[in-house]
Amino acid sequence: MNSSRSLGLMLLTPAIVLVVLFFLVPVALTAVFSFTNMSTATGITGGAYQIGPSSLQRLGDSYGFPELAERLSQPSYVIDERGLTALESAGVDASAITEMRTHLGEVFPTRREAERMIKGLDARPSTREVKQISEQFNRSLLDTRYESEGDLLAGLDALGVEVTPAERDAVAASSYSGWTWTTDNFRRMVSTPDTLRTLINTVFYVAIVLVLFNTGYAMFLAITTYYMPETTGGIFRSIWLLPRITPPVIYVLMWKWLAWDTGFISMFLGQFGVAPKNWMLDSSTNAWVFVILINGFVGASMGMLVFSSALRAIPKSQFYASEVDGASRWQQIRYIILPQMRWPILFVTCYQTLSLLASFDLILLSTEGGPGGATEVWSLMTYHTALNNYAGNLEYGYGTALSLVLVVIGVTLSLIYLRVFNYNALVAKPLIEQ
Amino acid sequence: MTILRGLMRATALVAVTAALAGPALAKDVTISVWAGGTGPNDVYRVDAIDIAADILEREAAIRGEELNITVEKTTYPGWPDFKQALTLSAEAGNPPNIVVSGHEDIAPWAQSGLIVPVEDYVDLDAWPLSAIYPNLMEIASYSGSVYGIPQDAESRPFFFWRPSMLAIGYTDADLDALPQKIQDGGYTLANVIEDAKKMQDAGVVQPGYGFYPRPSNGPDYWQFYRSFGGTLEENGKLVFDKAAMTKFYQFFVDAVAAGVTKKNHIGMDDATWWADIGAGKAGIWHGGTWHYARYVNQEGMQDFFGNVQFSLIPAGDAEGKANTLTHPLVYLLTANKDAELVQIAADLITIASEPQINVLHAIKSAHLGISEEETTLALYSDNRWASEASQRLLPYATAMPNNANFGVYWDAMWAGLQASWTGTKTVDQAIADVETTLKSGLGDAIIIR
Repeated sequence: MNSSRSLGLMLLTPAIVLVVLFFLVPVALTAVFSFTNMSTATGITGGAYQIGPSSLQRLGDSYGFPELAERLSQPSYVIDERGLTALESAGVDASAITEMRTHLGEVFPTRREAERMIKGLDARPSTREVKQISEQFNRSLLDTRYESEGDLLAGLDALGVEVTPAERDAVAASSYSGWTWTTDNFRRMVSTPDTLRTLINTVFYVAIVLVLFNTGYAMFLAITTYYMPETTGGIFRSIWLLPRITPPVIYVLMWKWLAWDTGFISMFLGQFGVAPKNWMLDSSTNAWVFVILINGFVGASMGMLVFSSALRAIPKSQFYASEVDGASRWQQIRYIILPQMRWPILFVTCYQTLSLLASFDLILLSTEGGPGGATEVWSLMTYHTALNNYAGNLEYGYGTALSLVLVVIGVTLSLIYLRVFNYNALVAKPLIEQ
Repeated sequence: MTILRGLMRATALVAVTAALAGPALAKDVTISVWAGGTGPNDVYRVDAIDIAADILEREAAIRGEELNITVEKTTYPGWPDFKQALTLSAEAGNPPNIVVSGHEDIAPWAQSGLIVPVEDYVDLDAWPLSAIYPNLMEIASYSGSVYGIPQDAESRPFFFWRPSMLAIGYTDADLDALPQKIQDGGYTLANVIEDAKKMQDAGVVQPGYGFYPRPSNGPDYWQFYRSFGGTLEENGKLVFDKAAMTKFYQFFVDAVAAGVTKKNHIGMDDATWWADIGAGKAGIWHGGTWHYARYVNQEGMQDFFGNVQFSLIPAGDAEGKANTLTHPLVYLLTANKDAELVQIAADLITIASEPQINVLHAIKSAHLGISEEETTLALYSDNRWASEASQRLLPYATAMPNNANFGVYWDAMWAGLQASWTGTKTVDQAIADVETTLKSGLGDAIIIR
């Protein structure tokens, strides 16, 4: 018993590893990231400390230390003994140092002005050497990137600025450029007006495509092709597989050719005097019709295959017997087929719900959520937030918070489905074996 | 035997010396450069680095060093894919050495440490960098440091199809005077809708083609906000001017209501848009200076100047003024542990900014040049488009802010514009939603008024 149990565990190990790697870890990371304000600007590995105009503005406005901000905003390059000594230890040419000494005590408000002086030395330092020399006389914290809070505070001390502990904390907090823990993502999600509309869009999209196509139409196809002669049924099923096996970009492009101003619909209706227009994006209703059809035609094929194979597993004798009893086709469907399809229906419903919740590729390629956000669904909003930004700042934190909602909805719906379809009864051992 | 041994020793010594000396003198480096928004007319964005590498190698040779630079070039025709690829490669610790991107990326990328200030590696007082227009250098700066070297000075004009304008009563003299009239505020966006309607009523353009704006998201739309007096940033803080944004949205709603712009214009096929303009189907539209290259090279437009008049974006009303947006692409240096590599990359973008090299891009792509000097080169001054566009547009050009929060503002503006344009929301609703979105997304980082 024990050995068979360990064998079972061993056989399951690859699956467990995959589930952990590709489901549990991403979900856990999503949960963690969703409580951060991570973005391209903050980076994901941790931040640095840099005093610049915006951090000084925060130090003055948000932390209430305008005088300190003013003091720190004074950039200055001072030719002093400390700098000259540093030049010596850095191995800078002695003649250059001697010449620099003639400028002792001079103060330059900007780095560029200091470098202009250095560049004019008779020693003719190269651009790289000018930069090395000027850095030794930098007596300001401005625009220096410190990798840790300790480095920043050490820089503050070296500058000789006397600050209180509260001021030190404020300088560190206001100049931190990395991500921080926050629950703001969820507050933002709730208070953003388009969130509710996107949620309603998502429910509408998933429900309609699932009911009409992924299960309803799939079942219709499976049953109609079942009653057809073998070859004809096979041909029909193959045709319905075409949307799924066509690459998505080409598949959607074909729909666009149908719907664009210069597409087939416009050309055809043009014969009857109808002005050409972009039928796909003409109105919210049009866009939804296309989004549902584009996704539905792909989704129907999977259900059709699953249901067709399940149908074939029903013993033929049941159909013969029902025909002897005078059952009509509808009665066969109602009393023989559907009751025995509960398991495949559960599988297709559950699988396709999760799949529709997470899929946005076909919508992105066709309407991109338009017109005016009318077909923006949750997963597309997540993509737009986390992976698409015209100003180069991808919002990972907010994006993962949005996708965490999808995970919660997906898991909840799965549990509900298992309950509704009575999963325990479906997987119960057959009575005959007990 | 002794002689033979001696010879062998000598040969071995020479071989070892050569083996040691060889690698010490030769330096092989690979510099990767990625450019976004780069089509067939824009190849000099990356090819300029190739040319610069050749010059840098020669300079090194004169100093007695052997420097071999291999330039790996990657171009992306669009923006979303490029920005996604770049940011993700940077997060993975594997960004290219040189990036050619819009200046608006500087703020977030500088904050994260993805890019380093170019000022740390180059002498801004030395030619050719000292010759670059100061306002462009300002646009390439963030937080007090110069982070990028401007690579072009592209501006965004309004275009008028002359034959259609002539058909509704304008004379050639009127059209020649139109740019000045627009600049003086004598022709506003309200006139745009009026004239577009006249063109459609006269049957010279089809319904919905009178005013034919850009069909996708882009910096262009901020120009209309500015046309109505909107401000983008004040003292380092973003500004959402509700009145200006309302009038900007309302303009597009009015254009749709007048039938001169299609309700479903946004999202139309880009290629169709280009082809329609090239074929003279559109009455009035807007774009970038680089559109000239596309019209002439790819869309087969004959006699551009005979068919097209261009100007600043007209003022919306008395509150705003005629304007144009310059959206310079900039050469950026990514952070790298190997300081030597960053220095070589910095040297390359400095050389690539020399007028003789940059002019190749400025003229081939019809983006404008980056320095006054460049405009005096024959290739530039002989080019009517570059000369006239520089003169007519650049002095009035403003830019988007370099602000790490700008992306959130941009997304909200675009969502609101689309919603009101397509009738999904009323203008007031859209503005209210943008305001709520900005308040919840940016808090006190944006001034709302």
